[in-house]
Amino acid sequence: MKINDVVCPFCGCLCDDLEITVEHNRIVAVDNGCTLANAKFMSKEQLASPIRRTGEGWENISYDEAIQYTVDMLLDADRPLLYGWSGTHGEAQCIGVHVSELVGGIIDSTTSVCHGPSILAIQEVGHPGCTLGRVKNRADVVIYWGCNPLEAHPRHMSRYTTYADGYFLQNAFRERKVIVVDVRETETARVADEFIRIKEGGDYAVLSALRAIVRGKGDVVPESVAGVSRSQLERIVTLCKDAKFGAIFFGLGLTMTRGKYKNVRNAIELVDELSRHTKFTITPMRGHWNVYGSNEVFTWMTGYPYAIDFCRGIAFYNPGETSAIDLLARKECDACLIIGSDPGAHFPRGCVEHLAEIPTVVIDPVPTMTTALADVQIPVAVSGIDADGTAYRMDGVPIRVRKVIEPTLPNDREVLKSIHAKMKEAKGQ
Amino acid sequence: MKFILNTGRTVTQGRHVEHKYHQGYFEETSSCFIHPLDLMDLDLEDGEHVEVVSEWGSVVLRAVSCEDLRKGMIFVPLGPFANHIIPPRTHSTGMPDFKNITVELARTERERLTQWELMEKIGGKRYENQ
Ligand code: SF4
Repeated sequence: MKINDVVCPFCGCLCDDLEITVEHNRIVAVDNGCTLANAKFMSKEQLASPIRRTGEGWENISYDEAIQYTVDMLLDADRPLLYGWSGTHGEAQCIGVHVSELVGGIIDSTTSVCHGPSILAIQEVGHPGCTLGRVKNRADVVIYWGCNPLEAHPRHMSRYTTYADGYFLQNAFRERKVIVVDVRETETARVADEFIRIKEGGDYAVLSALRAIVRGKGDVVPESVAGVSRSQLERIVTLCKDAKFGAIFFGLGLTMTRGKYKNVRNAIELVDELSRHTKFTITPMRGHWNVYGSNEVFTWMTGYPYAIDFCRGIAFYNPGETSAIDLLARKECDACLIIGSDPGAHFPRGCVEHLAEIPTVVIDPVPTMTTALADVQIPVAVSGIDADGTAYRMDGVPIRVRKVIEPTLPNDREVLKSIHAKMKEAKGQ
Repeated sequence: MKFILNTGRTVTQGRHVEHKYHQGYFEETSSCFIHPLDLMDLDLEDGEHVEVVSEWGSVVLRAVSCEDLRKGMIFVPLGPFANHIIPPRTHSTGMPDFKNITVELARTERERLTQWELMEKIGGKRYENQ
């Protein structure tokens, strides 16, 4: 059986045009997806039952035992951290917020290690964004800054920019100018019309120089800024000012280097400056599938987008203090529930060491690096494959995802629901 | 020799996010991409091992020649190997410095640890019943 218009559950592009072939409740072919989508849909690594760490190794346990362990762990903890949330759907994220509030814990998503700084910048100066559809149909200049879509979002360029014809661009490849700014000459840089290679840590200076030139103050800009010649910067500004509609996409090259949210703020202010001449927009390249959804769900439920601390009985937000990396590095939390992410692979060792010391439960379909640090892992159905739900695309558009095969395991929503119900019962609510 | 370390995504790393105990994940995330002229300066052949030392620790990786990089810069795909030496400091932003970190590189005869050995070194336990 072929299923059309399936939404991919891997990256923030949420491509919604995949074609999946299912035979006897197994996925046998994936069409239209990129290599990352194929690997996700064809994965056969799912755990069959919950596991618990013993002295020597691991043993299988029942769902009831695993859920009871999680309930006891959270209720016993003074400062529990509930982290991850990007790999799961919005409905499960909602229950996550309720659970965190009930135990007075901290809830944080993978935002804090991807576009957290972008959110801090947006809170300072706003977000002149737009949907990917507008970019596809209108943008005649596209800038990828500090990101490498061909490796991280493989279909971004073919669905929305370089290779995607739009309503006002009949031949996108010729009519759309693509500019790539990076410290490495990546595959993406090689297909661009202009490649700006900056020295590591030079983003802030180059953004400031571009702003000065747009303002007509190019004479204050030195001959070379962070390895980029003034003449190239002037050429870029002319290209941008002549554009009918320009779109900047930026990645972790801005958020992870020195300056962090100040780099992003400078990029937003460049967009502000350019919008005095033409129409320009800016969009963060959100990486992990529904990470944008975690920000939406957390914001409409608590008022804050990530790193929310309920220990005072009300929602409190202070990234740098209430964010997962800092809590773990300070060895402050005393229990951790991880869902839909793999901090074992993606957090610095100084944080991961603490995870190994405290009681940790992982809710994830497959064994990950974090499994090695956990006490219990509860396998679940995969959102978008054998679980349905809502996820947000990188431009903030919510998309309903269906299941394409019948589940054999409970989904995140069901597991969290029983954890929440049991906790309420224990608290006599 | 001093280098600037950047970490980031690659397609191969991405393909293995659900297959982290496979050899492919190990090979990709324990690679240190480096400019061919830097390889010569370090007296290294493509594929030989290199020790990368940051203020936070050291890790043995496999050097892979790559002309995308500027001389003086190395790239390690994100994963447990890069994170073994990344400082857990966020400058009060919540975000550690995953890019633009100063490191020292030297040729080594030592073998790489596996991703599981890295986890076990800090008190983890590999899951083997797959
Ligand atoms: S680009 Fe992203 S959303 Fe689209 S198919 Fe590839 S992994 Fe899936």
